[in-house]
Amino acid sequence: MSEKARVLIIDDDPDFVDGIRGVLEAAGYQVDAVYNPKAGFEALKRRPPDLLLLDILMGRGAEGVMLARKMRKDPQLSQIPTLIITGLREQIAFLFPGQAVHPHILAVDELMEKPVDPQLLLDRVKALLDAAARRRVAG
Amino acid sequence: MSAGARVLIIDDEEIVLDVCREILEGDNYTVATAPDGAQGLSLAEEFGPDVVFVDLKMPGLSGFEVLERLRTRDPSIVPIVITGYATLASAVEAMQKGAYDFVPKPFTPEEFRLITRRALEKRRLVRETIALRREQEMLRENFAAIVAHELKAPLAAVQQNLLLLTVELADRLTDAQKERLARLRSRLDDLLKMIDTWLRAISADLGKIRERFLPTDVAGVIAKAVETVQPYAARKDIEITQALPPSLPAVHGDEGTLGEALTNVLSNAVKYSSAGGRVGVSARVDDERILIAVTDAGVGIAPDELPYIFGDFYRGRAGVTGEAGAGLGLAVTRRIVEAHGGTITAESMPGKGSTFVITLPVRRAAEAARDRPEAQNRPVAPLGGAV
Repeated sequence: MSEKARVLIIDDDPDFVDGIRGVLEAAGYQVDAVYNPKAGFEALKRRPPDLLLLDILMGRGAEGVMLARKMRKDPQLSQIPTLIITGLREQIAFLFPGQAVHPHILAVDELMEKPVDPQLLLDRVKALLDAAARRRVAG
Repeated sequence: MSAGARVLIIDDEEIVLDVCREILEGDNYTVATAPDGAQGLSLAEEFGPDVVFVDLKMPGLSGFEVLERLRTRDPSIVPIVITGYATLASAVEAMQKGAYDFVPKPFTPEEFRLITRRALEKRRLVRETIALRREQEMLRENFAAIVAHELKAPLAAVQQNLLLLTVELADRLTDAQKERLARLRSRLDDLLKMIDTWLRAISADLGKIRERFLPTDVAGVIAKAVETVQPYAARKDIEITQALPPSLPAVHGDEGTLGEALTNVLSNAVKYSSAGGRVGVSARVDDERILIAVTDAGVGIAPDELPYIFGDFYRGRAGVTGEAGAGLGLAVTRRIVEAHGGTITAESMPGKGSTFVITLPVRRAAEAARDRPEAQNRPVAPLGGAV
């Protein structure tokens, strides 16, 4: 990638964000972080990132899921490649009872469990960005 | 919540509507008015008022009927009656039908403002109460998941930073330091896994583990549990002795959860033993049942505590080294053992030590029991159930 891809992290745990941010920055990504869903949505609208890292369990429940649902309704935001990061697989199952573990909340998303292995994180991020670039070329 | 609060006034006297509107709009309320009950009710639907003033004496639908329908539609709306004949009887009747307050006609603007303010305060409290109740229900339903999230979130943040440090310091650390970092990560992993396990034990229907029951070698389960606890025992210089017969029949069960159960009992024995002490594990077969006994010479359990130790969130008085757990281990253990059609009991002498006995039906009996419908349908006591 010629220019630095911009990654936005929306997660209410600043320490966790630091742990992720360091990995991404060392790999050459430009990283912004927002620590609550409301400011997160505003940041998305203001300047859509190349990739979003979204924590789905923020605040008083699944506020990240609500944010993802809002994104899905927005034609532009719904196309942002999104890596959903959450603490618990079981919780996803409980949020979406009767569905497969990976809920596919957004058109383009991937799911990872906290904590994330650094190399695995970089692989997933790159795969999502590459897929998005291919879609742009094809589209 | 006064600014922008929505007030609906239902009265057949136009002058009353106008005066009320003027008073409230001057105070920045959003006001809607209706000349009769039917229109008032349909307006309430779309307007979504916080407070509704209803004249008791109107043509068409009576004020009382309007009150009652408002109440069934949304009990959180605060209704107030306007009454021209300010008798105690009509006011009391209106209050009984759910009105929060009443305004006797004629009234001064100040009286009307005061009653509106009080009603809005009431509305705020009602809504807070509803929100609080909803939150409590959520908490009760998803308790295990919430606790697990709260426990795991900080651990995940620590682990994520350890992972980052490992990468960042890769060419600066000695091998011994890298090894130490790896051990830290592995301990955190264990802790994260343990929380998952407990979450599963609490929230998931333990009855479901029966679906994957297989012939399970009890001696193997015991050996693994001992192996798991061994490092902790070694640290306190505690010897774990085993007295097992040359062979034990298999049980019909789940190796993973049985191992968890036995590990819980064994680690308790280590935890509540003095340094240099001894923990014994023995097993024998008696009348189609396998009895596994774990004995320690530790602090023991007071007779008045003994009946409660298998209950949820029970925590023993601090062990000799002041160790404490989450108070879930034995409750989870009991549920696992009961899901296997077994029992767990404890005997103890304070100051002398404790013996925990897990009894499991041997495989043949267990399988036969599976074919009896009453045994099959026997519910597993949920956590939080009777102890």
